[in-house]
Amino acid sequence: MASYRVFCRNMKTSDVLSYIVKQNLRRCRRFSSHTDERQNYDLVVIGGGSGGLACAKEAASLAKRVAVVDFVEPSPRGTTWGLGGTCVNVGCIPKKLMHQASLLGEAIKDSRHYGWQVPDEVNHSWQTLVQSVQNHVRSLNWGHRVQLNEKKVTYYNGWGKFLDEHRIKTTLKNGDEKIIHAANVVLATGMRPKYPQEVPGALEYGISSDDIFSLQKPPGKTLVIGGSYVALETAGFLQGLGFPTTVMVRSICLRGFDQQMSQLVTDHMSNNAGVKFQWKTTPVSVEKTKNGSFSVRWRDEEGKEDVDHYDTVLFAVGRIPQTSNLGLENTSVKLKSDGKILQSQHEQSSVPHIYAIGDILDGGIELTPVAIKAGKLLAHRLFGNSNKVLDYSKVPTTVFTPLEFSSVGFSEEDAIERHGEENIEVYHAFYKPLEFTVAERPSDQCYIKAVCERTGSQKILGLHITGPNAGEIMQGFAVAVGFGISYEELSASLGIHPTSAEEVVKLHITKRSGEDPTVTGC
Amino acid sequence: MLVEVAEGIEKFLETVEKHSGKRIFALFCGGVSPATGESWCPDCVKAEPVIETGVAKAPEDAVFIKCSVGDRATWKDPNCEFRKHLQLKLVGVPTLLEWNTPKRLVEEECSKQDLVDMFFEED
Ligand SMILES: Cc1cc2nc3c(=O)[nH]c(=O)nc-3n(C[C@H](O)[C@H](O)[C@H](O)COP(=O)(O)OP(=O)(O)OC[C@H]3O[C@@H](n4cnc5c(N)ncnc54)[C@H](O)[C@@H]3O)c2cc1C
Repeated sequence: MASYRVFCRNMKTSDVLSYIVKQNLRRCRRFSSHTDERQNYDLVVIGGGSGGLACAKEAASLAKRVAVVDFVEPSPRGTTWGLGGTCVNVGCIPKKLMHQASLLGEAIKDSRHYGWQVPDEVNHSWQTLVQSVQNHVRSLNWGHRVQLNEKKVTYYNGWGKFLDEHRIKTTLKNGDEKIIHAANVVLATGMRPKYPQEVPGALEYGISSDDIFSLQKPPGKTLVIGGSYVALETAGFLQGLGFPTTVMVRSICLRGFDQQMSQLVTDHMSNNAGVKFQWKTTPVSVEKTKNGSFSVRWRDEEGKEDVDHYDTVLFAVGRIPQTSNLGLENTSVKLKSDGKILQSQHEQSSVPHIYAIGDILDGGIELTPVAIKAGKLLAHRLFGNSNKVLDYSKVPTTVFTPLEFSSVGFSEEDAIERHGEENIEVYHAFYKPLEFTVAERPSDQCYIKAVCERTGSQKILGLHITGPNAGEIMQGFAVAVGFGISYEELSASLGIHPTSAEEVVKLHITKRSGEDPTVTGC
Repeated sequence: MLVEVAEGIEKFLETVEKHSGKRIFALFCGGVSPATGESWCPDCVKAEPVIETGVAKAPEDAVFIKCSVGDRATWKDPNCEFRKHLQLKLVGVPTLLEWNTPKRLVEEECSKQDLVDMFFEED
């Protein structure tokens, strides 16, 4: 869409924030109190995030009457934002930009080896970064507004709640209510960060990923609690920007991902990136000290307690589906115990005309491209005579830690569980990215493995890469793996030299052989 | 709402300065050609009545600056100040923008009534 241009590079963060607050107040004034005014729609989408917007726009392009209901409940710290959902405002987008900021810091160090005369002390301005990131986010919010308008989707900036299975009440910020009638409903309300109830002070003093990307003052010495990808990514970029960061992990990191890869990621973070890890510990309490910092008490496996002080305490211990304040009790939509929406089949809930997509769908995958694709395909099934459904297998993903980790398909553990160890072959290699050599950067955790069937042409079940730009490398391979490429076909392909990606097609050492998987020379 | 008219970038920035702290909307158009008495840019002519209607929806205490980017030759010059200015970086006329926000409508978008209405209404 060429309709709006990024602007206001010099906009101040305070302006951005007051802009958000005013935005919400003003939008509300536009609606006078038309309580009970009845509006009929072919489709009402609750939640204007990745999945909801995609579904609404697609349905509107099929000439249907569509409404989107979206509202952002402020975080416990009072952070709020505009249209677009988690990914745009407090997820993928600001996260990747901050990751990039941190990588640039690395590049500055490397550049000295390449002849750049960079002063010994190079400083970073957190305020400038936040301002730039927020400006971009604001431009995306406006872009989403323009798109909805262009597609003739009605937008309600209010909280949506079922009155019954076809009527939805939207409550605007000033308390005005509007009741709309929906032939079909798509729920795409996403998730929000969880705070541990049992830790006094957590909710009161802790922040979450909802707050970090617009934090007014530099975070300083930070404790990140949790082992999720959000925890590792956040700790990674904060440390990279120069804030001493500790990650407190109760059990393992990156649950659900290949654990050998997860280990490489955390090894790199602690050995090379300087992030501290406190394994097997859980927070006990958070208290505010006189000088404004926070004292965090924690307990280790053996029950021993200890305490330290931090300027910022960030919780990344999981996310809760936003399904509890949706009026679902007025419908027969069934929830799983974790609050996700149970599907009978293909995103359809236990009520035939009510669907769920994105993060709140039980059995789904919490990623933006998944939500978007599910939303688009669903719109076409509902209104476009299509029967295409989303294949939730072989979804590629990347963890944007200082050393990126990207994967598609089964982890080695999952493959073994499904096929048996004797029926899989794992090809693997440690490699040295060329750009690391001159910069004298250790490459101990740059690693690739392809988990394959053992017989026939050896279909690839899973592919895993740690290294610089792993996300960019994986995208193309994910297409191939998605279409069922075999190890035989992969290794018959030619590499592009000199790249890191070529190491994927050059894989030839099996784990079973016990040979040294370290790649040397060309 | 207060309407100001500015000719050239200096005048524009002065006007912005004068009203700093307020919400400022700005419209950039091709200048009026003496021959026709109209802007040399057809999209600007087309957008005018649409924007006129939309402006009525803007908040009372806001300022609306109408700014001419000069004649066709001045605007087409790749080094035109309106194109180069870091906070403006105009790429087309007409451009409707709200100062210090990412809100911006460009060229034919400025003649779409619902977009223009939304532009002035939304905060
Ligand atoms: C820190 C972080 C980093 C991430 N990074 C990536 C990444 O790199 N790549 C990736 O693919 N994914 C990433 N994700 C995940 C991605 O953001 C989500 O999978 C995606 O946003 C889910 O989209 P959704 O449509 O399900 O919901 P969301 O995008 O969360 O949108 C839901 C919207 O509904 C609104 N809402 C909720 N309830 C109501 C109601 N009752 N009435 C009205 N509105 C309501 C919410 O306020 C929100 O605006 C990240 C997530 C986080 C938190």
